Amino acid sequence: MTKAKKVDPIKLEIYKNRFQSVAEEMGAALQRTAFSPNIKERRDFSCALFDGMGRMIAQGDHMPVHLGSMPMSVKCVIEKLTLKRGDTAILNDPFRGGTHLPDVTLVHPVFLPEDKEPSFYTANRAHHADIGGMTPGSMPLSTEIFQEGIVIPPVKFEENGRINKALMDVLLANVRTPGEREGDFLAQYMAAKVGEKRLKEIVEHFGRTEVFQYLDHLQDYSEKMIRVLIKSIPDGKYTFADHMDNDGQSDEPVRIEVEIRIDGSEAEIDFSKSDPQASGCINAVYAITLSAVFYIFRTLVEYPIPSNYGCMVPVRVIAPEGLIVNAVYPAAVSGGNVETSQRIVDVLYGALAKALPGKVPAASGGSMNNLTMGGADPETGEQFAYYETIACGMGARPGKDGISGVHTHMTNSLNTPVEVLENQLPIRILSYSFRKNSGGKGKFTGGDGIEKSIEFLTDASLSLISERRQIAPYGLKGGKPGKPGENLIFRNNSSGKLNAKFNISVTKGDVFTVRTPGGGGYGR
Amino acid sequence: MTIATGDSTIMIGIDTGGTFTDFVYIINGDIKVLKVLSTPSNPGLAIFEGLDMIQADNTFDFSIIHGSTVATNALLERRGKKTALITTKGFKDLIEIGRQNREDIYDLNVDRPAPLIPAKLRFEIDERTAHNGEIIRKANRNKLIKIIEKLKKNRVESVAVCFLHSYMERTNENIAAETMRKAGFNVSPSSEILPEYREYERFSTTAVNAYVAPIMDKYIKSIQKNLKDIKLRIMKSNGGVISADTARKESVNTILSGPAGGVVGGYTIGKKAGFTNLITFDMGGTSTDVALCPGKIITSSDSKVAGFPIKVPIIDIHTVGAGGGSIASMDSGGALKVGPESAGSDPGPVCYGKGSRLTVTDANLALGRLDASHFLGGKMKIHYDKMLKLLRKTAKEYGITPDELSSGIIRIVNSSMEKALRVISIEKGYNPAEFALVSYGGAGSLHAAELARDLNIGTVIIPLNPGIYSAMGMLFSDFIKDYSRTVLIRAREDSYNTIEKKYVPLEDRAMIEMLEEDVPKGRIKMIRMVDVRYMGQSYELTVPFKKDYISGFHKAHKKRYGFCDENRMCEAVNIRVRCIGETKHPRIVKEKTEKYSKSGYRSLGSREVFNGKEYVRTSVYDRLQLRSGNEIKGPAVIHEYSSTSYLPPDFILRVDGLKNMILKNN
Repeated sequence: MTKAKKVDPIKLEIYKNRFQSVAEEMGAALQRTAFSPNIKERRDFSCALFDGMGRMIAQGDHMPVHLGSMPMSVKCVIEKLTLKRGDTAILNDPFRGGTHLPDVTLVHPVFLPEDKEPSFYTANRAHHADIGGMTPGSMPLSTEIFQEGIVIPPVKFEENGRINKALMDVLLANVRTPGEREGDFLAQYMAAKVGEKRLKEIVEHFGRTEVFQYLDHLQDYSEKMIRVLIKSIPDGKYTFADHMDNDGQSDEPVRIEVEIRIDGSEAEIDFSKSDPQASGCINAVYAITLSAVFYIFRTLVEYPIPSNYGCMVPVRVIAPEGLIVNAVYPAAVSGGNVETSQRIVDVLYGALAKALPGKVPAASGGSMNNLTMGGADPETGEQFAYYETIACGMGARPGKDGISGVHTHMTNSLNTPVEVLENQLPIRILSYSFRKNSGGKGKFTGGDGIEKSIEFLTDASLSLISERRQIAPYGLKGGKPGKPGENLIFRNNSSGKLNAKFNISVTKGDVFTVRTPGGGGYGR
Repeated sequence: MTIATGDSTIMIGIDTGGTFTDFVYIINGDIKVLKVLSTPSNPGLAIFEGLDMIQADNTFDFSIIHGSTVATNALLERRGKKTALITTKGFKDLIEIGRQNREDIYDLNVDRPAPLIPAKLRFEIDERTAHNGEIIRKANRNKLIKIIEKLKKNRVESVAVCFLHSYMERTNENIAAETMRKAGFNVSPSSEILPEYREYERFSTTAVNAYVAPIMDKYIKSIQKNLKDIKLRIMKSNGGVISADTARKESVNTILSGPAGGVVGGYTIGKKAGFTNLITFDMGGTSTDVALCPGKIITSSDSKVAGFPIKVPIIDIHTVGAGGGSIASMDSGGALKVGPESAGSDPGPVCYGKGSRLTVTDANLALGRLDASHFLGGKMKIHYDKMLKLLRKTAKEYGITPDELSSGIIRIVNSSMEKALRVISIEKGYNPAEFALVSYGGAGSLHAAELARDLNIGTVIIPLNPGIYSAMGMLFSDFIKDYSRTVLIRAREDSYNTIEKKYVPLEDRAMIEMLEEDVPKGRIKMIRMVDVRYMGQSYELTVPFKKDYISGFHKAHKKRYGFCDENRMCEAVNIRVRCIGETKHPRIVKEKTEKYSKSGYRSLGSREVFNGKEYVRTSVYDRLQLRSGNEIKGPAVIHEYSSTSYLPPDFILRVDGLKNMILKNN
């Protein structure tokens, strides 16, 4: 592609906004038509646009954990499939472009009139409430991928304008709530088409030549912004290590270590000294590690910039295969996306705190507290499966306290309203409030975590993947660490402590209480 | 123009704005406009001053419709009264946790708005209602009485009562509300303010009401005291009016009433000009409000003000941070940005004298679209040279010419407004080409034609006196009261009757309350709507409740999202009744304009104006000298007291029988 000699700062701004709003509109359409609580209530999804080479153009401000991983999906689809007009690909295989199985991604090629090759791809990823596997909600304490649900390699969901019914039948036969799944797939499919329509309108309006020129300019623009940022970090090596509590199979902590090497306007992020992949479910695939790195650089840039391919050009991520940060087939990965991603962020900020004192916050709660439950509804006899994440406290910032009870870093999903939950599931919520004094003390205090109690109105299965139950979120500059979380069960008039990761059967009348970690404090 | 009123009492619309308080009334066929400087510390003073001026010149009886920013400002500036919350045990922090998310995912310094009710004024009661309405534990009066002591000690004035599932069964909330009222507090129960499910949004709306109601109560009482027997009505955010007494209790319904008045005014004048599908466009100093009116004014229940969800029906206005005062800057990646930061009215644009950063107004001045001698009819001093010096310096820094910079600022601010217009039309399944754009507000008429062209909108309507449209709209507002209730019923053929029965108590209440507003029974209309979704979805579409409402929903889903599934079970979530009490509107008679002619008017002269590509000689006109039937071919600039309009070369302008300027793209 030939580059125009001069970039028009006015057109640059106009294209930037236009592409961003296409990604946002896809997201709005998906959210409003989806059936999984995770998508419609909690906004656990992402929409993005790619050029014909699979380079990301824009991503909606949805879920940071999808930042680096959406491009991997599109890359895999381009490598494995030849998509024609009227085709759409689907995948969730973590080792072929996915992250963990409940996150199902659709990739749709956009052909301009008379073209044989796609000029764009639209992609969207959504967290489905259940994708099969050993426990309802598909976030099990697994030891290999096969236990976590149905694995979908990149295949055609739609071919020549028709949805692949055989594939749909196989998928729906392998999940607990097929009606809901079918609706979600359709919502994702329609959202991908909204993106296609808008991209075509942009090309029609501005003309092909200029649009492609500015696609390049936008990549350069983001790259330039990230280079300006990296240049502001003093050259040198910065290291930091932190641990996951355990992998859900043994009690051993799992170490994640990073060395950040800054040289001029380029950065090398080296995770080579991290532990090998675990036998439990906390393994992160490379896409997740990439997302975490992408995220922290994005937060340190002063202005909002398009989340595109250009952002990562000046950054090299080194994560050898077989480590906890780049697990290989057939590792169990259900918790890597949600838990390990947060710890990767913690070590990255920990290292950068040394390079950029006064800019980086103390550790936030560091867990998404993934709660899944399922069983049969006593009123209707129908199967139910439910997944949610619960917020922690935010780490204190240089200059201000952390926020209490808020999702941080790699997630920003909403809670499901109590009144919606109780209308849909045989449970009663007994409390949902701040966990007092759980934020780390300091000149600025970390945010408090949350205490949530759930009474079961029927027998059910309950599992939780949580972190920071043993190893506390760190404070910075002399600030105290946040209080680690606690998981408690009350049954037969007595209470018991549960592990950070568990899967149990509960009976009618049991009450489960989760107290999430507070954020670290900042300054003495 | 001849306008006859159908009533011996003259209605005066009064809109309190940031700088001016506008008065509009129609007498003997003439629209009278008065502007008085606002008195922000006590908005009533400007009202009385204006009324005195009107009374000095007239002897008629009058009544008042007032758009008040008192509730809005109390919320935005956090000057509400000390408010407490009484809620279900286990949930006192819920109104602070909200939806547990953060507003900006990449901003490490992101904040949550501080809660309207601080933790120490949030109290829990051991009561509980289940989702099906079953009362599991009754609210205990003695426990409530103990809380009263603490409230009094803390000098609390207002109390929000917010219990789980009260939309389904309100007994417990009633017990608490009654106890608190007896103790002398201003009480807002969530089941009265918004009986709909989703606790955070309901609690938030109720908390906002409790926070601003005592302020509104005091403000309205003080005006009423001065007005004595003169009837006072208050503009609501849903585009209707209510009596002052109702507004004192349901203050949350008056937040955003100013912009609502503007939409009613713009829509009314557009309709009188002969158009049905209208988009209203109100560009001010810091922001632009747009609303889509496909044959009617649409309300939505999805608003957020000052970071707090307010779920009562509000005219569906989309706001974008782009206005005349929006500031231009270059970021370190080399992209030119305009807004959302604004120079506002202080320091204002560079050309006003105090500003030091280029704004949209400065760019319009540089391009010749605004003229230094015509600001506020020439009464305002404009610093053209100061603007030009900064423009040249800045353009040099950015490596572009001054013309590229100033026209670029216009294109970027236009693209922000275009995005806003796309969100309300294309993204909702409407084609803007089928709409006419009504432009009012001070700054919009310079941009409206170019915006229309970019979106294939064929017609732009610029009414006379575009600066007073909020006050104008108030004269054309009916009494509108909205009622709703969550029902959560599976929508089958046989459930029509079950749902139908649920409307009856809502309509009974609506009738009683509308009669209390002194609206005669013959002028009261009920409209039934229902929020429907596919079973399992979380977002509903509101459709008319008729026998065929289910197929109506499928059609609406198809239009909005491009697909529907007629085999999927639907669910009726909320039922809604809109009760309209028609008021007597001033009657507008059009002058006959059968022929349009390019003669019969004179230009004030001409000057060089940038047309998007180059500077061309452009005629300048005075709006007051234009008559119905005049036709002008672009390019042209038209001045009037509070606004300037730009007519691009590819547009023609016709003055219709209402003295609206109708701009059409050739």
